[in-house]
Amino acid sequence: MYEDVEMPEGMNPEVLEHLMSPKNYGKLENPSGVGVALDEKTKEYVIFYILLEQGLLKDVKFATNGCQDTVVIGSMFSDMIINNDLDYASTAITKMHTKLGQLSAQQQICADIVFSSFTASIRNYENKESGADEELHLFKMKDSCEATGQEEQTHE
Amino acid sequence: MSKTYQKKHELWLGISFASFAISDEEIKSRLYEFSLIAFRHMKWLGTDILAEGGEFNYDRDMMLYKHEDVFQIINALVDEINAIQALYPQTILGERIKTDDAYLLEYLSQVLKDEDKNSKITAFNMQRKWEDKNLPQDQIDALTMFLFEESYKEYELILVYNYMQARTQNVKHFDVFQDLIDESHFHLKSFGNMMAKLGILALPRELHAMTYVVKDLKQFVVDGIAEEEAAKVMCKELSDAIKDEELSKFFDFINFQESYHIELMKKLL
Repeated sequence: MYEDVEMPEGMNPEVLEHLMSPKNYGKLENPSGVGVALDEKTKEYVIFYILLEQGLLKDVKFATNGCQDTVVIGSMFSDMIINNDLDYASTAITKMHTKLGQLSAQQQICADIVFSSFTASIRNYENKESGADEELHLFKMKDSCEATGQEEQTHE
Repeated sequence: MSKTYQKKHELWLGISFASFAISDEEIKSRLYEFSLIAFRHMKWLGTDILAEGGEFNYDRDMMLYKHEDVFQIINALVDEINAIQALYPQTILGERIKTDDAYLLEYLSQVLKDEDKNSKITAFNMQRKWEDKNLPQDQIDALTMFLFEESYKEYELILVYNYMQARTQNVKHFDVFQDLIDESHFHLKSFGNMMAKLGILALPRELHAMTYVVKDLKQFVVDGIAEEEAAKVMCKELSDAIKDEELSKFFDFINFQESYHIELMKKLL
């Protein structure tokens, strides 16, 4: 779907549209899972909400205080996975990663924080399904723009 | 009351962005003045909500419609103002807000009577052309990203400082927050008008509570100073990248203002 999309430096109309009106931006009132990825150094976060029904991502939303690259990637990614199943969502991460391989290190970190927040929302869903009383699942990104790792922490 | 607060927040943005979108200087200026009045309404409503033991948030449920002419924008504003009237409280503040809104409606009705005031809106055409300047594409791209980043940041700062100002009992802090809010209003206006000129006017995205509910003021200030430093770097980079003297000077001017914001923020420590 976004095979030919160039990221902000290229600034094609599709990217501009994501900047002007990010897709699936906001929050869900009764989500199945909520995940947060936090860059502790910059305090940048992405929060991702999913609504899973019969294995399908019936609705997704995300919000961030991060940069515009994070917004564009979150908008593209959420648009890609909505109304699809989790297997497809995993594929979408790989596809987006392939695409984002052409980006600067900083933009790849923006992508990582978006994907990590989504993964955390799945973890939150699974934990709640297992009986845990977990409001959201948090991944702390290990470093700021230079790093790619993450640590896990739960909020109960 | 929290619903009233949300609708007032939306109306403040609606009037502000109508002002940015419209290029007629007289209408732009009047609407901007009204937008600041609407912001004060929002602030006062927030104070009353807290005084009654309630809470407000920055949830929104609005779109910035890409209207094609001035009258479409003004008619939409009229509808928005009319819709909120029933929500105002039966208080002295409620009465004050209603009379302000009535005067704004009167002004808008006068504008709608003058067909000469109706012109095409170019604020949403995505053309990214600065009419009287011939900026190369890389400079336009840099300016575009800067405007999206910074218009959101200024909106965020206005709301975060407003949230904290409403809750502080410290007079010095209250004054500092007010200065920072006023400064960010000016920056948001400047960037909004530039976005409209480029045809990329868009609402800043909604704030999540994780952004504005501040639990540790000291940490918030330390992080805020780092953000201001980052904004200064962005301004400097943009000023260096933009070869147009007028724009370059403008970004230097903003850069120096960010420097003083850091000094203001230090007063909160």
